[in-house]
Amino acid sequence: MESVRLENVSLFRRTKEEFSYTLKQTLFSIIEGKYKHPVKRKVLHEISFKLNEGDKLGIIGANGSGKSTLLKVITGILNPSSGTVRTRGSIAPLIELGAGFNPDLSVIDNILMYGVFLGFSRKYMRDKTEDILEFAELNDYKHAPVKSLSSGMAARLGFAIATDVHPDILILDEVLSVGDASFQEKSKKRIDLLWNSTNITILLVSHDLDFIRDSCTQAIWLDRGKIIGIGKPNQMIKNYLDSVS
Amino acid sequence: MEIFQEKIYREESFQRYFEVVRTLVEFNLKIRYRGSFLGIYWSLLNPAIMTGVYTAIFGEAFIKYYNGSILRYMLAAFTGLVIIHFFTTSTSQALLSLTINGTLLNKLKLPAAAFPLAMIFSHLVQFCIGALPFLVIVTLIISKSLLNAIALLFPIIGLAMLCLGIGYIMSALYVFFRDLHYFYEIISFLMWISTPVFYPADIVPQNIQPILKLNPLSSIIESIRQIVLSAQFPDLFLIFQSVLTGSIVLIIGWLFFQILKPHYMDLI
Repeated sequence: MESVRLENVSLFRRTKEEFSYTLKQTLFSIIEGKYKHPVKRKVLHEISFKLNEGDKLGIIGANGSGKSTLLKVITGILNPSSGTVRTRGSIAPLIELGAGFNPDLSVIDNILMYGVFLGFSRKYMRDKTEDILEFAELNDYKHAPVKSLSSGMAARLGFAIATDVHPDILILDEVLSVGDASFQEKSKKRIDLLWNSTNITILLVSHDLDFIRDSCTQAIWLDRGKIIGIGKPNQMIKNYLDSVS
Repeated sequence: MEIFQEKIYREESFQRYFEVVRTLVEFNLKIRYRGSFLGIYWSLLNPAIMTGVYTAIFGEAFIKYYNGSILRYMLAAFTGLVIIHFFTTSTSQALLSLTINGTLLNKLKLPAAAFPLAMIFSHLVQFCIGALPFLVIVTLIISKSLLNAIALLFPIIGLAMLCLGIGYIMSALYVFFRDLHYFYEIISFLMWISTPVFYPADIVPQNIQPILKLNPLSSIIESIRQIVLSAQFPDLFLIFQSVLTGSIVLIIGWLFFQILKPHYMDLI
């Protein structure tokens, strides 16, 4: 069954580099006649591909080639300027763990909040809290504010919450290894479990080319917002590496 | 995947929106008061102190406009101050609400409009626990009519809509102009000084008065004072005016927020 389909997706974005505007500067530049209309840059060029249920797609390419932006368009955070994005079922992004935590709230409150932000109901999250604490090994800290956790603990918590989800489409942006050696082992098992379930479609951005070669069924090579190639991971990685050297 | 369908909300559903707002409000209040219920009354300290100061300085001078009663002046000043305090604190925090949560909005698919809404709403909850009971008691004592106490709700709804509309406009603009909060301080000072909070409206020169009427807060404060302090039947025209003002500002603010959305999402 088809699970993700992109047709001619293009995206224009305002670039952040020229963005140092304050109201004061803007007013002065208008008065002095130097005001320039903000420029929009095309960051995705006519992207089209489709994935079936259970496909595992690796997205490779240099920094700034639009990999993370593409994931944001698929997740629905950004709307494409033209073209259509179609997805079936629930999407769970697992992007830079721990970014959404509120440092002043307790671990338990953060679990609830993060879960609700991910799209779960409050009731479901309350039922899940114990499991999540257990997995993250943070039972002793459940009433402590997140700011008192070490960064490794916070990452563990983020991983535990986000992977407790069983979405139809899972979006991963460089978050495969977290925490110390023993937790890495545990988190790897969990990723494997998600990976091996045949009805979850996974989209992964990573610079770990070996992982993509071993674990993905397809790969897309992006360069400056364009798809250069799409196909077997082995072939794509080879082409990509050839182009770099 | 049937079993998961129940647990996961569909993307844009109203229920999801409601849960996001509810959770944000709950935790906004939790962070602000750290579990101490009395903390909410702390927000009354500022208007109370200001009332004391104004009464000490202007009480004598303005007493003749208040039937010679210093208590009336104090109540009028306090009512106005509570409203204006709600307005300034809620909108200036809503102004920051989008940008502060920028990382979240960039990582997860969340309704952006929920953040200013939750900020205004948590201030409204605080207002309803802190200042509102006081206003209701004063209303009941002065008017001896339950109707006035109920009527009080309408200008407060108008006030909340006004704050939300302004919160939408300001939070979207702040993404583009990161020095906006300095300017907003000036704007809110103008709003404050141009509403007859601590002076009687009658002292303002005739030719200036129409300009002051342009302030959207004027009709709301006037309506609330009329209901709380006049001992008369609620003035329906004032109530209508304040709800209308609130609705108009809210509609404009919401449209503004939605139209700018594709632009600020790039810069958050």
